[in-house]
Amino acid sequence: MTWKEKLAGKMPRALADEIDVYETQLELRKIGKIDEKLFAETRLRRGAYGQRYDNGQRHDGVKTQQLKFPASPLTKGPETLWDAPGMQRIKIPFGGLTSAQLDTLADCAEEYSDSILHVTTRQDFQLHFVHIEDTPTIMRRLAAAGITTREACGNAVRNVTACPLAGVCRTEAFDVTPYAKAIAYFLLGHPDTQDFGRKFKIAFSGCEQEACGLVNMHDMGALALIRNGKRGFRLYVGGGLGPVPYQAKVFADFVPEEELLPIAQAIARVFARLGEKQNRARARIKFLVAKLGVDEFKRLVMEERKILPNDPRWTAFIPDAHGFKETLLKSPASLNGQSKPEGYAAWAETNVYHQLQPGYAAVTISLPIGDLTSSQARRLADLARKYCGDNIRTTVEQNLVFRWVAEKDLPELYRELKAIGLGDFGAGTILDIVACPGTDTCKLGIASSRGLARELRQRLAAQYFNLDAAVKGLHIKVSGCFNSCGQHHLADIGFYGNSRTIGNRKVPHFQVLLGGKWRDNAGSYGLAIGSVPSKNVPAVVERITQRFVKERRGNESFQDFITRIGKAESRKMIEDLMEVTAYELSPELYSDWGDPREFTMGDMGMGECAGEVVSRLDFDLQAAERLCFEAQLKLEAKDLAKADELAYKSMLQAAQGLVKELWYDVPNDPDVIAKEFRARLFEPKLFWDRFVGGKFAQDFFRRHENPPTRYECDEVHRLIEESQLFIEAAHACADKLREQKAAQMGALVGGSK
Amino acid sequence: MDLYKIGVKIFVANPQVVDIHDFIPVFHGWIQQQKIEGHQLIDVHDYAHVENGPGILLVAHEGNFSMDREGGRLGLFYYRKRELSGGLEANLKTVLNTALHACKLLEAEPKLNGVKFKTDEILVVANDRLLAPNDAASRAKFEPVIAKALGKAKVAPQAADPRERLAFVVSRS
Repeated sequence: MTWKEKLAGKMPRALADEIDVYETQLELRKIGKIDEKLFAETRLRRGAYGQRYDNGQRHDGVKTQQLKFPASPLTKGPETLWDAPGMQRIKIPFGGLTSAQLDTLADCAEEYSDSILHVTTRQDFQLHFVHIEDTPTIMRRLAAAGITTREACGNAVRNVTACPLAGVCRTEAFDVTPYAKAIAYFLLGHPDTQDFGRKFKIAFSGCEQEACGLVNMHDMGALALIRNGKRGFRLYVGGGLGPVPYQAKVFADFVPEEELLPIAQAIARVFARLGEKQNRARARIKFLVAKLGVDEFKRLVMEERKILPNDPRWTAFIPDAHGFKETLLKSPASLNGQSKPEGYAAWAETNVYHQLQPGYAAVTISLPIGDLTSSQARRLADLARKYCGDNIRTTVEQNLVFRWVAEKDLPELYRELKAIGLGDFGAGTILDIVACPGTDTCKLGIASSRGLARELRQRLAAQYFNLDAAVKGLHIKVSGCFNSCGQHHLADIGFYGNSRTIGNRKVPHFQVLLGGKWRDNAGSYGLAIGSVPSKNVPAVVERITQRFVKERRGNESFQDFITRIGKAESRKMIEDLMEVTAYELSPELYSDWGDPREFTMGDMGMGECAGEVVSRLDFDLQAAERLCFEAQLKLEAKDLAKADELAYKSMLQAAQGLVKELWYDVPNDPDVIAKEFRARLFEPKLFWDRFVGGKFAQDFFRRHENPPTRYECDEVHRLIEESQLFIEAAHACADKLREQKAAQMGALVGGSK
Repeated sequence: MDLYKIGVKIFVANPQVVDIHDFIPVFHGWIQQQKIEGHQLIDVHDYAHVENGPGILLVAHEGNFSMDREGGRLGLFYYRKRELSGGLEANLKTVLNTALHACKLLEAEPKLNGVKFKTDEILVVANDRLLAPNDAASRAKFEPVIAKALGKAKVAPQAADPRERLAFVVSRS
């Protein structure tokens, strides 16, 4: 028995079918029937990501070794070997998680990864060191638990994030949870989100002044507001971190709730149509918004909104959203003189949030740099069943939150968390250091962000109770490179990895950024003051925090303090620590935290964060090829009727993909597709071969107009041959359409300046 | 297909003599020399920050080695990831021999301060809930094979929770 057979009927049908298709694509890639670039984007859109050293090279500290894998030279993407361990990203919309899902995640981590579940800065989970051939099974097991990995990576709408306190927050306008959920599933796999040049991230916040969902740093951010008793959102667009961070612009001060989904759809269409496709470095929507200006961008979106075909899903969720209530396990009950275990007070001070609803608390479970083991995950699932039910959330600070815990249960919950090694205090404090994977597993990582975070956490924990209260409340965030996955711009003290060459050796460094603002939804970004050797970073933190305590005026915030003393003075604080002594005197500076190898940049690979620029049409043609291949398998199995149907469908799929380039909303009706294909592509001789003219199109028309009533092996065989040639011709036609489109786009964007 | 995703944990007899981080440079050295035959050794990972977790992990294509602290006890945990061609008994022996070989290498490592492994108690884990769910039928099926493969040994199931992996504590009878 296989997992596919065991889980049959337990997965949502659509999801099961999608995973079957993905598995077929995987098999096709193995036999060379899919191009590596196309397969890379295919797997990325299923959350299967590359990992460090997957180009088959690793510097071992002495020399660069070629990693020998059995399936070499087969690849799963450009410079990405088939057998090399990869990462599976798992989307958790708004971070909402059930105890059963936690159990499944634990099982998958044990059987296919390294028994570690890693929570990311976008409320996802990641499993590392996963073999590509295990990914369909992982997806099936997750699907049976109601989790999809679809569009977790690649040029797509990524996980929709939301404040983990939504619904229990004391200061929110209203609970954004049902809206985040609605938009996540509305845009998932939506045809309008399949043709982006880059990823697209959405976040929801319930209140402006908290860090909440960090709407200011997202491609699209929605901040809950109530106007005249009506629910809606202040909508932001064009924010983002990355090497050059952009603060989002206000797209509309108030978008009523019923317009949220259609406007998001219209934004997606404009981004897909006008966003940069060739230069990845400028392909995020923030560049398009900056180029057009937010007013012009908005005008284009609202024009698009007017012509969107009505979709009942836009508003179908709203009555439920107004009545949305989580299922509660326990009745509210206040703490009432129970004995409290040792360490409880410190933990409760930082990890317990008293909910809007009296008698309930939200408990943050601090995960060191976002990691927990499978065993811990299973025990946590048990604790959720005991204390809060299925009200678990992941957070962008790489922690977990149990919501709706009866306050009287807090001491016992703490005792039980402590017993499984998850009773650490310090959530939301200087100890709660956020770090991206960095050189541990990321192909783009320059320095060890996790190694540094571990070191800082350990040192700061040892002196936590002696720290000034103002220092305890600071945030530290670390990225392994300038791409900001650790969100270093938003921290009071942020770091990103870089490197300096001293003599003929490389030294791992971290650029220091000061004064970023976590609150106010990522209210402002920190500025770089200088780069220090990685091993000097703890001294930098100590020096800056001590100076802050010494010279702080009244209740002055860290941001205000840094602004007041100025950039030159800030830099002066760390100048001596920026110096690198010679290798002979301080060899430890020439290696990174937790890694005894002499530091090198040679292990960096080609990033997949940007995905491959593969258009919707490419995917349609790939689907056509898959159908054609499946037709061959059916022919081989002597299932002639099915083989004929699949061959015809492959032509139809390719034809529809082409028509879509000219009429985006072409319906799925085969008669309409054939008619439009004839009028828009065949008659104007766009689908035309210079040697055989319109033959390939005529083959399609013939089969469309005269479906067989009986099946002959030779005829089905011929139809399959014709469908293959039709798909080849469709590729040629696609090139022509792309040239036309590029010329039109150039004129349009040029004209908007 | 017979079960090949098998893990074997061999416990450290004298955990007090060694700091878990001492294994990091040792494992890097193994990669430099590609010291485990039949394995493409790839990278080392530090999970010591996670309580009772995989500790220090040496990733290889065929199977991972970790100085593991699951259950609060330090030991070398080797688990096979890629297919083995033998039957269950042969697969189990292969995994055990690989783990024992790794232990010998560690014991001979001067940087590890005389670390020693116990061979009178071994944990065997079936890391595949499809082929080996943690239930009575699997226990009845695997117990005699493990006893036969590991010689005259007492085999006792470890975890009653059906969500946990099927596992046996094997001790000298």
